[in-house]
Amino acid sequence: MTVSTTGEPAIDPDERRAGTSTVRYVAGKIGGALVSLVFVVALGFFLFRMIPGDPLATMTRERPTGAEQLAHLRERLGLDQPLWQQFLDYVGGLLRGDFGTSYMYRRPVADMIGERVWPTLLLVGTATVLAVLLGMWLGVRAAWRRGGMFDRTQTGIALALWSMPQFWLGLLLLIATQGVFPSRGMSSVDTPDGAAAQILDVAWHLTLPCLTLLLVIYAQYMLVMRSSLLEEMGADYLQTARAKGLRDDLVRRRHAVPNALLPTMTLIFLQFGMVVSGTVTVEAVFSWPGLGLLTYEALRGPDLPVLQGVFVILAGSVIVMNLLADLLYRVVDPRVRAS
Amino acid sequence: MQVWQEFRGNTGGLVGAAFIVALVVASLVAPLVVDQAGLDVVTATGSPLEPPSGRFWLGTDESGRSILLLTFWGARVSLLVGFAATLLSVLVGTLVGVVSAHFGGWVSAVLMRVTDFFLVLPALVLAAVLMAVLPKSMWTLILAIGATSWPTTARLVRAQTLAVEGRPYIERSKALGGGHAHVIGKHVLPSVLPLVFANTTLVVGGSIIAESTLAFLGMAGPEISWGSMLDRANSSGAVTAGAWWYLLPPGVMIVLVVLSFTLVGRALETVLNPRLKGDR
Amino acid sequence: MTSPPPLLELRNLGVTYRSAAGDVHAVRGVDLTLDKGETLGIAGESGSGKSTVAASVLRLLPKSATVTGEVLLDGENVADMRWGRLRAVRWSEAAVVFQGAMHALNPVQRIGRQIAEPIRLHGTVAGDAADPSEAPGESGAPAGHTAPSEAEVDARVRELLAQVDLPPSKARSYPHELSGGQKQRVMIAMALACRPRLLIADEPTTALDVVVQAQVLDLLGGLVAEQGIGLMFITHDLSVLASTCRRIAVMYRGEVVESGAAKDVIAAPGHEHTKALAGAFPTVGDPLSRYAPATTAPLPETTGPDPEAPVLLSARDLRVHFRDRTGATVPAVAGVDLDVRAGEIVALVGQSGSGKTTLARTLLGLQRPTSGSVRHDGEPLPTSTSALRAYRRRVQLVLQDPSSALNPRHTVYESVAEGPRIHGLDGDERERVVAALEAAELRPAEDFLPRLPHELSGGQRQRVVIAGALALEPDVLVADEPVASLDASVRGEILGLLLRLRARLGLAALVITHDLGLAWNIADRVAVMYRGELVEVGDVEQVLLRPQHDYTRSLLDALPAATADDR
Repeated sequence: MTVSTTGEPAIDPDERRAGTSTVRYVAGKIGGALVSLVFVVALGFFLFRMIPGDPLATMTRERPTGAEQLAHLRERLGLDQPLWQQFLDYVGGLLRGDFGTSYMYRRPVADMIGERVWPTLLLVGTATVLAVLLGMWLGVRAAWRRGGMFDRTQTGIALALWSMPQFWLGLLLLIATQGVFPSRGMSSVDTPDGAAAQILDVAWHLTLPCLTLLLVIYAQYMLVMRSSLLEEMGADYLQTARAKGLRDDLVRRRHAVPNALLPTMTLIFLQFGMVVSGTVTVEAVFSWPGLGLLTYEALRGPDLPVLQGVFVILAGSVIVMNLLADLLYRVVDPRVRAS
Repeated sequence: MQVWQEFRGNTGGLVGAAFIVALVVASLVAPLVVDQAGLDVVTATGSPLEPPSGRFWLGTDESGRSILLLTFWGARVSLLVGFAATLLSVLVGTLVGVVSAHFGGWVSAVLMRVTDFFLVLPALVLAAVLMAVLPKSMWTLILAIGATSWPTTARLVRAQTLAVEGRPYIERSKALGGGHAHVIGKHVLPSVLPLVFANTTLVVGGSIIAESTLAFLGMAGPEISWGSMLDRANSSGAVTAGAWWYLLPPGVMIVLVVLSFTLVGRALETVLNPRLKGDR
Repeated sequence: MTSPPPLLELRNLGVTYRSAAGDVHAVRGVDLTLDKGETLGIAGESGSGKSTVAASVLRLLPKSATVTGEVLLDGENVADMRWGRLRAVRWSEAAVVFQGAMHALNPVQRIGRQIAEPIRLHGTVAGDAADPSEAPGESGAPAGHTAPSEAEVDARVRELLAQVDLPPSKARSYPHELSGGQKQRVMIAMALACRPRLLIADEPTTALDVVVQAQVLDLLGGLVAEQGIGLMFITHDLSVLASTCRRIAVMYRGEVVESGAAKDVIAAPGHEHTKALAGAFPTVGDPLSRYAPATTAPLPETTGPDPEAPVLLSARDLRVHFRDRTGATVPAVAGVDLDVRAGEIVALVGQSGSGKTTLARTLLGLQRPTSGSVRHDGEPLPTSTSALRAYRRRVQLVLQDPSSALNPRHTVYESVAEGPRIHGLDGDERERVVAALEAAELRPAEDFLPRLPHELSGGQRQRVVIAGALALEPDVLVADEPVASLDASVRGEILGLLLRLRARLGLAALVITHDLGLAWNIADRVAVMYRGELVEVGDVEQVLLRPQHDYTRSLLDALPAATADDR
């Protein structure tokens, strides 16, 4: 029998690898995300059926309705069907883009959601990008000179910000800036027409809510980046890099940071749920006309179809972000690619 | 104990712990010292939204009640909800984490699927939605917060349990003849619990913020808490009227409490995980 | 006419670390010289200061270290070099092949790029050495040199890979795609990239299998001889140094306790510690070390194995299959027949990946076999929990790394008492614990009872683990690499303990190891395992002196030769 002299088996990159192919990995992850999405829809649906009492009573709270009209309403909304039937109808509706009708506003929920998506995307997008950049840069600098003045100050600030309820921070900023920035809405009615003026107006309105959202989430990213880099800094391969004659900041930039970015990135994506929660409160404080404000208004009803729809959309977006995180990680980390 | 010795060296942790102890004592003592008539809207003696003065050190709210009094009283509910929700969350999380890591197999797969699912959902939204459909009281609030924050603990406990279970002395214990109860009771839990405790203090901070946020969204019970004070401050127009004395005290208290718990938690983590010593 | 200064000279080198527990004098008064083309081996255990010496040559010590004395590289004091000059000197004058190539390579960069990095940094490609008077810039060559072109760098990388017997396609691999031996070769190629005059190899073969180790040593020796490089080889394994180096210096607790020509140091060690080190790695075939590990307590008389003794533990056609990540079946144990008789010591020898640990765990009932049988005293292994527990009393386990085999929070008393408590053994618990500790030669036992594992030395911890097993009064001890994690001087003691336990208690043992020398030291019979199968089984004298199977022969061939002259 032939004796191998190389000891452990090696994987030759030229050979066809026995590991999971990319297609299988992607398919697996997408499948998982879909399953989660189904659970979310089911959860949303059954959660709202948990309420004691009659949904119709909530709807007709404001106006007294006769028994006949009630029965008619019940039939029209399909509330007289068995529960599982209602569920199937709901799912069918979802797939067609029909999220039901708002109790409070008597409008299709899908329309209401559609109107509010863009403002939320604008807010969340801007804040997240800024927070990621700021957080990572600060985290790297703080970690490299651990224990120094910069590090201690930044960590202290981050901890303090993390301990603050977001809505309170928003209210504080409102009071502190005393009317310099607009306190509600996305745009003022009296801005002159013309793209530049309109854009500036929106940007002006965006400042405070974006700043509030930014301040809390950057702190989290900074702390994560910092601890990832600190963990990485004990690694042996950095000793090799130094022995080769590399300057300190090259050792950091070329070797430590890329390795530390991997877990940081995943964590950032996974924190997206936190960002979504933050959006709800920030929009509520500043009356920013997005999905968050919609949720806030619907909670006060409670306007169940709207809540259901928003819940599915928000939870769904978090699931999608996690899926992206998994896929991105596979692309970026060669060790994961081989498995 | 050695842990205490090391903890003492950490200034942040000590300050935090002292503050928490003081606050807890104050809240317990409150019913004995506070004139509860001052909390009632009907019997309040001040005029609405008075700025701080000699009579009312922190001013009054929109019903004329002393804000100082309200803040002092509000600590009780805020702390109670924070602690109770955390207890619920940590109990469930630890159970799920230990069982999943120890037994493995399909049990673990199912538990992890459920955990990951809940981990992914935005906790605040879920809690708010829960509160929207349940009758609003302090107890449902505790339930809602506890039910949405256990996954993080579960993940952490599972990771720690897996780390412990991988160590050779667990194998040795099994080789000596130890069964599940023995291994978990004698080896796993004593190793895992200290870190769980450190994590718990961090969860308390999160629970208190959650309580205040849910109250702000109108999703809390009728009791006086810091969160509900802030909600009333906002919705009664006090904020837009510039009544900063209404806004600051409850918020500052929340920040101080959460910061204290965070400092204590980080100090405990550093003590228990010596590797982190250089990092903090 | 003055002769050129030696390549490396250490004069009265001292290194002290500042730590929370006070100052630690890692290195004291070390004098060493190394000339171009010479090979110097530094032998020592963990804590001897040898790695510190290596790190001090290029000023790679952490900030908490203070260096006294002189480190002269080509006559120039390393401590006096300005930062820029130091960085220029690093790698281009002296390079380091680090220990644990597992983690010394950046896991997310292709190795080609990592090998090329110092080339680009120091701007050295063909033939000429870098001019180290200028600090290397970020973009490559120091001022006055033209930076090498991409093509030149590529060619050099390929040349280096060829020198270490790796195909050029490996340049595109990531570290995790390479085996341990291949990674070590990459480290060597990388170290040679800038044509250094001095190579420092810090435990370069420690984590490697015997066979792979032999290859790497050959390679290193060849390259060094070819290119006239000065080599400083650091390891705890004296036998490896014997075959690679002309001169050896032995370090113990920060000081050089003995130095001289390799032949002399090995053949006639002067210092106690050198003797202990030499004794830890016995030569297979040397009758002096047969049944005679290096130990201070007296060893019992040993006769050979008794073929009449009853078979206590036996495996028949044992198979254990695992499923790997892709779902394919991996046969860890592929049809093994093995017997362990009462009172005999059987050594199960194999390299990593051979399946020996899986086999051990299956024999202990910690792993379910896919097929085949394990019998104890003729009865098949029980499957019910309570019967299995009863079985555990008779067959016990000793693990490799004693520092993690004991719960760091439990005192010695608790760890040893754990077994009897689980089984609810009657009689006085404390008496049992004390008796077990004394049987494991920890005397006086009372002193050890309240101690925690981290307060004990490696050897003492292993004795506690053995005591824990003895407390249950087993018939058979299964020891998985019982001395692999221990310092060389302590190995003999533990092996001697096993022999004495056999003599006094009639305790049979199945010792799993990769070290053939260990089998020679204490085993009656040996079984050689390769890829899940036993390729050869028999009396130690038979198998190790007159091997039948190719694999056994290759293992024996791979053992480091007696002296460098014999190569």
